[in-house]
Amino acid sequence: MPYRNVALGVALVLLASISLTAQTPRAGIGGGFTGRGYPVYDSAAVERGQKAFVSSCGFCHGANAKGGESGPDLLRSVLVLDDDNGERIGPVILNGRADKGMPKFALSQAQISDIATFLHNGIRAASLHGVYPIIDIVTGDPKAGQAYFNGSGKCNTCHSVAGDLKGIGSKYDPVTLQGKFLMPRTAAPGGLQVAGRDAAQIIVKVSLSSGQSFEGKLQHLDDFNVALIDSSGEYRSFARDGDTPRVEIRDPLQAHLDMLRKYTDADMHNLTAYLVTLK
Amino acid sequence: MNRLLLLSVFVLTQITLLAQGLDPILLTRPATDAWPTHNGDYSGRRFSTLNQINQSNVKHMRLAWVYRAAPGHTAGSIIGGEGPDVPEGGVAAAATGAGSMTIKSTPLMVNGVLYFTMPDNVWAVDARSGRQLWHYFWKTRGGIHVGNRGVGMYGNWLYFETPDDYLVSLDARTGKERWHVEIADVKQEYFSTPAPIIIGNHIMVGTGGDSLDVPGFLEARDPETGALQWKWWSEPLKKGDPGSETWPDDYAMRHGGGMTWLPGTYDPQLHLYYIGTGNPNPVETGRSRKGDNLWTCSIVALNVDTGKLVWYFQSSPHDTHDWDAAQTPVLIDGQFNGQQRKMLAQANRNGYFFLLDRTNGKNLATAPMIETMNWSLGIDAKGQPIPNPAKEATTDGVLVSPNSGGATNWPSPSFDPETGLFYVGTSETFSVFYLTDTDPHPEGYGAVQRGAGSYGGTLRAIDYKTGKTVWQHHYPGGVGAAGILTTAGKLLFTGDNSQHLIAYDPANGKILWHAGLGANVSNGPETYLLDEQQYLVVGAADLLYAFTVEE
Repeated sequence: MPYRNVALGVALVLLASISLTAQTPRAGIGGGFTGRGYPVYDSAAVERGQKAFVSSCGFCHGANAKGGESGPDLLRSVLVLDDDNGERIGPVILNGRADKGMPKFALSQAQISDIATFLHNGIRAASLHGVYPIIDIVTGDPKAGQAYFNGSGKCNTCHSVAGDLKGIGSKYDPVTLQGKFLMPRTAAPGGLQVAGRDAAQIIVKVSLSSGQSFEGKLQHLDDFNVALIDSSGEYRSFARDGDTPRVEIRDPLQAHLDMLRKYTDADMHNLTAYLVTLK
Repeated sequence: MNRLLLLSVFVLTQITLLAQGLDPILLTRPATDAWPTHNGDYSGRRFSTLNQINQSNVKHMRLAWVYRAAPGHTAGSIIGGEGPDVPEGGVAAAATGAGSMTIKSTPLMVNGVLYFTMPDNVWAVDARSGRQLWHYFWKTRGGIHVGNRGVGMYGNWLYFETPDDYLVSLDARTGKERWHVEIADVKQEYFSTPAPIIIGNHIMVGTGGDSLDVPGFLEARDPETGALQWKWWSEPLKKGDPGSETWPDDYAMRHGGGMTWLPGTYDPQLHLYYIGTGNPNPVETGRSRKGDNLWTCSIVALNVDTGKLVWYFQSSPHDTHDWDAAQTPVLIDGQFNGQQRKMLAQANRNGYFFLLDRTNGKNLATAPMIETMNWSLGIDAKGQPIPNPAKEATTDGVLVSPNSGGATNWPSPSFDPETGLFYVGTSETFSVFYLTDTDPHPEGYGAVQRGAGSYGGTLRAIDYKTGKTVWQHHYPGGVGAAGILTTAGKLLFTGDNSQHLIAYDPANGKILWHAGLGANVSNGPETYLLDEQQYLVVGAADLLYAFTVEE
């Protein structure tokens, strides 16, 4: 792969810095905490609560508590949000709401507590949007994916299903696999993605005005500094001022980055479906 | 004591009191000896007429002082709040979210004192020396601690908002609390981040919250008591009201989102407050809210005395990618098609630049800022983008640029009237959006996005008349997400992603000066004149830096 000149403004492979700028943190991983905190509810209590809810409340409020024909959505209920462990929900269950047509339910305190836990767990699940489970992404046509792999996608230029990708469909689940071909370099927080497997390592060549040049694994690059580790393991750092010294980079994953602007969603789905078959 | 002496003491006291407080006149003209409101003045331009620091001497900028802000219950902290006690020396559990304890606020500078915030924390620091005068710590009940944009000031009084949704007023002289009022319910996942903006005797108070499908609003409150003056909801209140035709039913409207999480701008002649509203809810799927979903993802003009909507422009009709329109609506007075116009420009999170006539909201120009953008079918007759329904989240995923963080976000842009250019930092990113909640009534976000790669970040200079990029500086490492300041010294200050504060020539993007800080620039740089000395002040994580030039 040819060198590219940084000074020409060719884009480097960079990390997505989604969480750096988004107002709402991706929940769960160092992203602040929700108004209710991130309580972990006892799964047995959630299960008991769900059973009790479905049999007593589900007819009106829906089995998932999101509301039914006659009862409101309880996952968006301010009363439920204000409740901590059934102390607000309990009286409504026990006394009913005659004005709104809700009958009384003679449930035990333990059942009320379980139902409250079930509801709070549902609210928590909705609010933890950073960790929603992805459902099913293998919907594409594997044959079309194979044609893309060997055709317009040009994946076979660098990869072989009998070689480096042998058994890749057994190695990773489909979601991970799709992420790997979209951007094989794993994310590191904030900034240039330079570390990683050797095969994915960005190589940089720094040419001084004296004619001397250094080449190695890119460690850092900004407008004022470039740093590398050369083949002897030596760390070298250079001040930059415009085009001096000349800096050229070679990213073995450049093709993956370029593909982001070319994939159709169907290409992405078909390619995923094909790679999944490579057991 | 003779009467003359008594009189002198009285007069002195009066002068001292006046000198301490913020003279409201400062809010109506470009600030030079103060930075009296979030954007420096009401226009949101973040352009200073100061030129003591200029192209000829910027190479001689030197560090005047550094202040390190220690949040939490520290020795001597003034403590307030409704939450549980926090032992001295300990930072509240709420404050442990990574990245939350960062100076995202632009400090106010009034009468030689800087006032700035982190979530739950307010500081007063001597603007000459960087020495702390007082620190106020709010014991929180919870809420997302992602950031706080700073304080507003009225006379001697300061105002700030908390993650658990209080508006708190402090005495600027002492840091002592005057009162606090609850503005939203933290249990409904509201969390409040804006810097209050003071206009006349109104405090403009907004809020945030995206997790549980609650409606957004903007309030005006009384500076003396905190009492509610008016409240504007981001959605129509009931079917039949104007705008309700863009929602399927009342229920969708009342859970429709549209947060007001960044400060707006103000035109004193038109008497209009301009603010960009947040995205609709559920955030990343639109099945239960078919329609354009007014007035989410919109730039709205509100009468500042009544809160009545005067006009709106929707930047992302029926948004499903978290692209709120909260970015600063920057007020521009200048030429357009040979006429002097009152305009409003916004670099939007969805990747478009918009230019509007701010007297009536009519679109003058719409242009894409980033080349990777792939979600729009084009522009309609009103200048609004037409979302491609095929790019709304599906269970098997759709590849979208920009990601939900957007082409740009909260870091402040700048408009330089001398170059006529609008400056903004953009990111060129991709994400896959997967539908995760297939219920006809999804809740929360309803979908999840995963980063798929990035072409990095770019500092752009945009011709406001066309939206075209005139020059750009692509950052070789990482994205550029810092705020921007321009000055009459023909300088543009912003930060890169490698911990540098950088001065550019605003005419062409040439780098003129840089300094390595202890962290990335995390707020909007600001400048002011004090004792005939021009200061440049910038935040980087928990550090506040002040620079000056030696003549």
